[in-house]
Amino acid sequence: MHGPADTSGDDPTELLPPGYRVARWEVVEPIGTGGWATVHAGRLIEGHAEGVPGEESVALKVLPTAGLSPHQARKVADTARREVEFGRGSSHPRLIRLLDTFVLAEPDHPLLDGAIVLVMERAGRSLRDLLDAGVSEAEGARLVTEICEGLAHLHRSGWVHGDLKPDNILLMADGSVKLSDFGLVTQLTGTHGTHGYAPPMGTFDYLPPERWRAPLGEQGVEIRPSADIWALGITIHELFAAGASPFPGATPMARGAATQEYADGRAPLRLDGALPPFWRALTADCLAPTHAARAAHTAESLLARVAERTATDVSPFARASVRRGRRRAASLTLAVCAVGATVWPHVEHDTASGAPSAEPPGRIRVFNAEQSCRGRTDRNADCSLGLAIDPTRPYTVDNVVATRVWHGDELAVDCRLPLGMPIIDEADTHSAEWYRVRLPRGAGRTAAWLPAVRTKDRPSVPDCPAPTPIG
Amino acid sequence: MSGVVIHLPAGWGEGEPGGDAVTLRLGPGEVARFGRGSASTPVELRLDDEAISRLAGEIRVTDDHWQLSNLSPTQSYLVENPEGAGEYLRVPPRRAGAPIPFEFSRVVLPTRNTSVSFQVFAPDHVYLDPDGLHGQWGSRTVTAYSLDETALYFLILVALCEPRLRDESPVAVPTTPQIVDRLKGHPACGRLTARAVSSHIDYLADEKMRISAPAETGPRREARRNGKREAIVGLVLRFGLVREDHLALLPPRTGATGQERGTAG
Repeated sequence: MHGPADTSGDDPTELLPPGYRVARWEVVEPIGTGGWATVHAGRLIEGHAEGVPGEESVALKVLPTAGLSPHQARKVADTARREVEFGRGSSHPRLIRLLDTFVLAEPDHPLLDGAIVLVMERAGRSLRDLLDAGVSEAEGARLVTEICEGLAHLHRSGWVHGDLKPDNILLMADGSVKLSDFGLVTQLTGTHGTHGYAPPMGTFDYLPPERWRAPLGEQGVEIRPSADIWALGITIHELFAAGASPFPGATPMARGAATQEYADGRAPLRLDGALPPFWRALTADCLAPTHAARAAHTAESLLARVAERTATDVSPFARASVRRGRRRAASLTLAVCAVGATVWPHVEHDTASGAPSAEPPGRIRVFNAEQSCRGRTDRNADCSLGLAIDPTRPYTVDNVVATRVWHGDELAVDCRLPLGMPIIDEADTHSAEWYRVRLPRGAGRTAAWLPAVRTKDRPSVPDCPAPTPIG
Repeated sequence: MSGVVIHLPAGWGEGEPGGDAVTLRLGPGEVARFGRGSASTPVELRLDDEAISRLAGEIRVTDDHWQLSNLSPTQSYLVENPEGAGEYLRVPPRRAGAPIPFEFSRVVLPTRNTSVSFQVFAPDHVYLDPDGLHGQWGSRTVTAYSLDETALYFLILVALCEPRLRDESPVAVPTTPQIVDRLKGHPACGRLTARAVSSHIDYLADEKMRISAPAETGPRREARRNGKREAIVGLVLRFGLVREDHLALLPPRTGATGQERGTAG
């Protein structure tokens, strides 16, 4: 489909001709255009270092600056700067990786001269491409889990995506999810890191109700992680309702108005009947009408809910259709283990008096992924690590015991829980495994839980009984 | 979508003559009834004239615009676009839910001798980014504060930004008299008053961009008004809402009458 005639006479999608070389890559073909950028497929030129995963087939995002007024060029540079700053400081299996950046010097091609090129991992397609066909519940659960993993990492690292939508949720060749388009990512600032300021841009269908009335300040519009949770709610609804928005209306403006009516309490939330009950409840929580009501539902807590559901509710038929990647296979095994644990509960290791048995089955040494903390012996509060009360609930302040542990501490272990709340440490090690460790006398409790990512040891200890909070 | 603002000038509201001005804000889906009203026919917007029905009509906010229902059995109402060089709509008697496409409207109801009118502002109208005109725009990332580049307020905004855009004065923002003077050569601004400039600036700051600035009451009012202007200029330049190419909208600076721009902006 073509829009109105372009007065410049240049088709922006043909900015870089096939075969054009950008450092180690050459252009294969244009794949799309949007906003200020055009995107081309690129491949590694033969003879260059191979074997770097993701480098063979890339997306070249070109942001031309030629012909723009200084203010427009600044806007483009600002978008690129956000992506680059974010890309440098962030690496995660659920985020599209920024491989390199260049500024083209092409004095003979005024259109290309000064253009900024971002070299990124190449995805097969986006979640938008899946919406029309719809997905099975199991496949949907996997997609949402992976989206939440990416969001949880972003939020934990102090960023808000700011433009989450199916178009920016990419699917790699193996089907795994990666979030992309970090042109509007915003770093959380403020004394408690609760909010940041984004440029006054967004996609109508995914803007939370408070954004429609947000004042524009000197630094931009206030944005909080709950904005991404709202966008996630819309996305989950679209995923399970064949692309339909939960808000009625033929145009984004009409749906925006409907969003406002809902937030003002003049219209109820009417979710599509196609949403299975679990997803209906989850979506409704993501679409809580105010920031305050939504704040309780973090990417982390949603992830835990989905994981819990996957561990207990998934039917063998649904499970059979999930077959993506090694990580997924691993967590499936864990899901089966957890089911096993509920079928054959282990005998409590505690003695009749309630005190742990004298000799623990194993010992582990605490490992702190923060390198600067590993050299210290002063037991500084900033380097302390927490122990959970309940390993199946979000790992938050109200779910940790008073006792802290430090790198190098040796703890007595009673048993291992294969599938608790998934935890990702500072070095991006993932694990849903937990160890039940004993607490010193006088700690108020006899035991607590250490995430397996907090130790390098893998003691052979029995599996824990079905997780129940321990006193 | 934040809805519409209805403004009834002083003199027509309750307690005529000289009733206070009335301002109503309606969110999406909300309705305001207007008319002479009575104990049994309550209205949100009371128009005190014997020739006007007790329940004369209804305004309903829909999407980014509003609809006018004419509940009079005999009278037509006019909806004028004050910036449209005579552009208007006639809403016939008993017409239900006529969509009104103007961002600024003056609803005119005939009375025996003259007419009663009130204004309706619809600041939510969406304009696509200049680079967003190709293909599907529904799922595009767009600037969430959109301005009508053919509106008078935009012309005033460009004039406000001109010194900065021309890198002449990094600090000073033109005063209202300077804006009036700068735009007087423009065909659309022949009768532009200082008061109109000020209300356009207030509209931009309060309704279009929702700038968080201190209230403009009490002493040092003028200084605060300047603060608001500076905030607007800083923001629209920072976020690229007004750019160098918009300077072409302004009349030539020589003080000529700008005949070369035959069509009103």
